Amino acid sequence: MNFWIHFWTVFFFASLALFAGLAVVVSIGGFLNIRSLFKALTDRANQQQDRLRKEDDDPA
Amino acid sequence: MEVNAIGIESNFGLIDWCIVIGYLLVIVAIGVYIKRYISNVTDFIVAGRGLKTFLAVATMIGTELGLVTVMYSAQKGFTGGFAAFHIALAAAIVTLVVGLSGFIVVPLRRMKIMTIPEFYERRFGRGVRILGGTILAFSGILNMGLFLKAGAIFVMGITNIGVTNITPDMELALGTELKIIMTVLLGCVLLYTALGGMVSVVVLDYIQFVVLSFSLLVTSLLSIRHLCWQNIIETVSELKGAAGFNPFHPPPDGFGTLYVVWMFFLGLVSCAVWQTAVIRACAAESVRVVKRLYIWSSIGFLIRFLLPYFFGICALVFIVQNESLRSIFLPEGAQASSDITLMAMPVFLGQILPAGLIGIVSAGMLAAFMSTHDSYLLCWSSVLTQDVVAPWFKEGLSSQARLLLTRIFIVAIGIFILVWGLWYDLGQDLWDYMAISGAIYFTGAIALLVFGLYWKRASKVGAYSALVCGFLAIVGLTPVQNRLGFLLNPVKSHFGFTKEIPIEEITDKTVLVFKDIPIEQVSEKTVLVYDTIGSEIVGLTVIALAMVLMVAGSLLFPDRTKPLDRKE
Repeated sequence: MNFWIHFWTVFFFASLALFAGLAVVVSIGGFLNIRSLFKALTDRANQQQDRLRKEDDDPA
Repeated sequence: MEVNAIGIESNFGLIDWCIVIGYLLVIVAIGVYIKRYISNVTDFIVAGRGLKTFLAVATMIGTELGLVTVMYSAQKGFTGGFAAFHIALAAAIVTLVVGLSGFIVVPLRRMKIMTIPEFYERRFGRGVRILGGTILAFSGILNMGLFLKAGAIFVMGITNIGVTNITPDMELALGTELKIIMTVLLGCVLLYTALGGMVSVVVLDYIQFVVLSFSLLVTSLLSIRHLCWQNIIETVSELKGAAGFNPFHPPPDGFGTLYVVWMFFLGLVSCAVWQTAVIRACAAESVRVVKRLYIWSSIGFLIRFLLPYFFGICALVFIVQNESLRSIFLPEGAQASSDITLMAMPVFLGQILPAGLIGIVSAGMLAAFMSTHDSYLLCWSSVLTQDVVAPWFKEGLSSQARLLLTRIFIVAIGIFILVWGLWYDLGQDLWDYMAISGAIYFTGAIALLVFGLYWKRASKVGAYSALVCGFLAIVGLTPVQNRLGFLLNPVKSHFGFTKEIPIEEITDKTVLVFKDIPIEQVSEKTVLVYDTIGSEIVGLTVIALAMVLMVAGSLLFPDRTKPLDRKE
């Protein structure tokens, strides 16, 4: 049983430290990714609107 | 500190209510605002396939680290002790291996599919897609059937409202408050999900990831500070002995080797076969992002189980050392119901977290709840639209029609889980219920994916056989086993699924093995009763059977035509 007690103790605290690091990195990186996602979606919507407008102007 | 009718206390106060309500209003407003970015069904379902690594990781962990996960995991920690940590370890190892190898998820992303049944059609034909989609949706909706109730029990446990009575057989009497809380929660989720789709889901998942990650880390440290690590270890050791630490300790006290193997399968399924996780891979920007997503997310898959298990263990230690709580949660000579053990963790948090922080943690948990719900609602409604309804239309459905149908399904599923949550009698740990309800789908799906992707000779007949076989997994649900007693009891007798219990524990639900002996004539101290067949035995047996049927069906009835994705 002692093996498992030590194993889970080390495992728990190592995981906690690892997750703390991940949380910081992903929080910052994710924020930057959201900005670029919205930019991409907005650009695509604008391109679609432009295409529709051109088709309306030039039905041939 | 508020004290309720049965003596449970909570630090949850006015300031915490303000934090929670304000937070919910803000995220619903964000969902409505983001609606402007949705222009077609691809944007709605897979966010235009524009997710980069960090956002994909945040949204993957955000979805998987839901309130429901926290609830069922805490319950498992409460009942299983430190030995439950093996489930977290298994999930992390398997996710890391999937990330490094690209097993299943990379070929799926390369095929640019939106749902797994879409793969079924390309590989095995339209009929398999419709059947697979129907089974997937049935299993998935059943799987989330108790989410709403678990969320409402969390709210009731942490805020200390509505818990006013416990029945003599240790059932929680949950009344009108439960229904009101479930309805309000569902209203918020439906509004948010139906309006936004995947783009709003990823944003909410991100917010939820940030709030929940940091609040869970702080809560862990506070729990250790409050209870002391050595005290936690010693108390679990006294209560459970070796079974509380060694995951291979045999049942009924421990988990046992079969359960550990089952958890590795579940780890694989959760990250590579379960539609809500696979949809993240399909929404990723590239194959490279998919691999990185899984490698990074292995830490998230680890933590999403590990921390809630730890809170469940802390709740156990806290309750053991508190006389009034002990009589409710750990009654002498009786087994507390699943609803009561589910409530242990929120009651513990309600007592150790200070006002203000408890509001932030609750808000984070509720955000997690919204996040899981919107992901799942979106996922199952898309499967119903894309894989069950749309294939029937030869000329196809327009993008607008698909969007409308998806939204209608979202509302319909929401109403179902409200009714199911109030009606279904759990009778087992929530985790085991979820594993088995999910197994109805994934036992067949894993055979189709593995053989369909990596074995050229896999055929349509094999696929149908494996999918239908998955339905057998429903036997793992305790109420189903009880209902099918006339069929299963002879099997249980044959294979030794029986146990001895003291005569005083006999209730009207107990089924004696020797039913010809009236209970009043039983003279010994114990009687032999039918035991439940564990979820691990049912799950592993059905997986093995599905694999065998897939291979046998394919060899005996090979396809005459090439599958779509292999045609030149």
